[in-house]
Amino acid sequence: MAAAITPPMTALQGYSRRKDTGPYVGMVIFLSAFGMCFAALFFSYSVVRTGAMSWPPAGTEPLPLGLPALNTLVLALSSWTFHRAYVAARRGQPVVAWLGVTFCLGALFMALQLVVWVSVYRSGLHPSSGIYGSVFYALTVFHALHVVSALVTILYLLPGALVGRYGAANHTAVRLSAMFWHFVDVIWVAMFLSVYVF
Amino acid sequence: MSEHAAAHDEAHGEHGDHDIHPEPTSFLRKYVFSTDHKVIAKQFIWLGLIFMFIGGSMAMMIRWQLANPGEPFPILGKQIFSNSGGIVSPAAYTSLFTMHGTIMIFYAITPIMIGGFGNFCIPLMIGARDMVFPKLNAFSFWMMFVSTIILVISFFVPMGAAGAGWTTYPTLSTTMGTPGVGQTLWVVAIYCAGASTLMGAVNYITTVIVLRAPGMGYFQMPLTVWGLWLTAILNALFIPVLAAGMILLFLDRVVGTHFFLAGTMVKGGGDPILYQHLFWIFGHPEVYILILPGWGVVSDLLSFFSRKPAYGYKVTALAMSAVCVLSAVVYGHHMFTTGLSPLLGQGFMVLTMIISVPAEIFFLNWLHTLWKGKIRLTVPMLFALGLVFVFGLGGLTGLYLATISTDLYLHDTYFVVGHFHLTMAAAVFLGSFASIYFWFPKMFGRMTNPLLGKLHFWFSFIPINLIFCGMLYVGFGGMQRRLYDPSVYATFKHLLPVNQFISTSAYVLGFGSIFFSINFFYSMFYGAKAPQNPWEVTTLEWTNTTSPPPHHNYDVIPTVLRGAHEFGNPEFMKATGKDWLGQAEELPAAGAKAADKETAE
Repeated sequence: MAAAITPPMTALQGYSRRKDTGPYVGMVIFLSAFGMCFAALFFSYSVVRTGAMSWPPAGTEPLPLGLPALNTLVLALSSWTFHRAYVAARRGQPVVAWLGVTFCLGALFMALQLVVWVSVYRSGLHPSSGIYGSVFYALTVFHALHVVSALVTILYLLPGALVGRYGAANHTAVRLSAMFWHFVDVIWVAMFLSVYVF
Repeated sequence: MSEHAAAHDEAHGEHGDHDIHPEPTSFLRKYVFSTDHKVIAKQFIWLGLIFMFIGGSMAMMIRWQLANPGEPFPILGKQIFSNSGGIVSPAAYTSLFTMHGTIMIFYAITPIMIGGFGNFCIPLMIGARDMVFPKLNAFSFWMMFVSTIILVISFFVPMGAAGAGWTTYPTLSTTMGTPGVGQTLWVVAIYCAGASTLMGAVNYITTVIVLRAPGMGYFQMPLTVWGLWLTAILNALFIPVLAAGMILLFLDRVVGTHFFLAGTMVKGGGDPILYQHLFWIFGHPEVYILILPGWGVVSDLLSFFSRKPAYGYKVTALAMSAVCVLSAVVYGHHMFTTGLSPLLGQGFMVLTMIISVPAEIFFLNWLHTLWKGKIRLTVPMLFALGLVFVFGLGGLTGLYLATISTDLYLHDTYFVVGHFHLTMAAAVFLGSFASIYFWFPKMFGRMTNPLLGKLHFWFSFIPINLIFCGMLYVGFGGMQRRLYDPSVYATFKHLLPVNQFISTSAYVLGFGSIFFSINFFYSMFYGAKAPQNPWEVTTLEWTNTTSPPPHHNYDVIPTVLRGAHEFGNPEFMKATGKDWLGQAEELPAAGAKAADKETAE
């Protein structure tokens, strides 16, 4: 056989190597897409904010800062615990404790977020009472929906973690879920800084 | 046998054969809730063809009203427009043009070209057994199905279907302009269709990245796959922006937020123009999303049926990529008349004009591919040539709309309608049928009737040019789009005969689709049995598997040895006696060396 038409060995090796990377590649693309959606929401926020004379508009009370700041710490901590879960899975150690802690932190975030919504709503800022309320509720609720779906992925992982299914050779699900969790946390930091702080 | 063959066996022993999933046997798993990309592709094509029929019928009603204003629509008018005695009422007219645009873009072109041929061609042409995420693929189709159900329901709610145009600008699209539930359902339906498209896009991109057969680098992929892959990338990045716009519009309509309602300066308010930004950040890439699969298919078909390598293959692929990158930064040319800063406007104008450079490059590559080729005028080739013609024509009219000074006059006239129909309706229409006629034998294992196909082509190609060139003409005469009855204005009265001419051409186009329907249904059951490679072309789905392919596509994953356009190489013609060489076809030892030398040059 002519040597010239023999595909280089690297092509065959490359094929078997990239065949199994599908889940990660897919997740990166999914997260880019979600990122574009959030980018569009932040863009909308910037357009209405730059068009306003003052922000918050005159007569609107500023949003609370304490609980959201605490929440930022909660989410940062949860990102660390989820990372520990992923590292544990890679090393073949039990992951269920780390996943459980992460789930509790995520649930705590949602609880505190609920408190913030209720107190802001009681103070008279409603989604329909003006553009400030519209932006606040739309962005935070949309983010919270992603937190909830991230919590659901942990619920999906937990049964397997309990029976020790995840290990060095089988940590894809944990890794994908962790990627999504970190993504949601990064979005939160951007949201905390732009909606609450500045 | 050399070390190559040994490695070949090893690769398939390890990673090939245990990938074959058993074929499902129950009817539901096989034909309805299938995860097989070929079945899902057919489901998408069926859905797309049904909605193309509905959207096309709406176009006929619109044309009837423009040619015979105030006269009852014939035959079914009494049933469809029962409230107004068969006359297309102004409200019905508004819903008609809104739903015509929506259905054709999101429920006809997208399912046929992206859902259908994206699904069918990508795994087969790159030598894969299925998509990388088959369940996500099935979920994508059923999400689209849910979306169509919501859309169909919106026709039967009080105050009827959406009526704010397919672009759905606020404030017309807020509850002040269109209070009916139909508009809200429209928003939900588009959101679901977007979710479906996004799932498909993630699947396509990942599949092309990870499942290309051994030896198939990016620059050995057929240009069809390039077109579909670039489409998927644009979809993954820009459909979410539309989703954000739809979320905000939904909140404005249902929860009462103020994103698109201009407010007082003191209290702060939303901005109706914000929607246009969101919509066109998505919308301009979207027009390329619609035509890119067609470009890819045509780039391949011109080479296949000219029996010549695609001229400047790599350059065509890169030029299409350049168009994708540029398409993301030109959206402002849809907004020249919204009070956009002149400096920004000029920037957008220049960037828009720059798109014509890569577009010209691959257009000239197409013509070079044809030049001195042994052209076979098969039905798919006719449709491909038709696409080249109407796309060239439509592309040239784009220059007048990209230039601010002419756009100020032509904005919102029928010139715009003619322009975008030539580029993304006529061209995509012809591209869709080129694809359907070309891959029909592979899909159904039977040949289509060439005579009916050619009748369909001429009954499509001639009227489609008359219709849209007529629109350019009345648009240049100043006639605005979306007018219920232009003939009541003294300025446009003299355009009525032209409008009647356009409408008559449209009816001929509608009539032509009868040839397609007969051909499609008859050939599916009674067509001549298709051989494995009826077109004598080089890509994997024709050379390495049967027509139709088995459930797992390839018994052995082929090892790709060369690009997709090996035609007319005199050395391998000497070695094999035919003028084409499959992508995975090994040459007989004698002459192989010389042929490969030729290929390398």
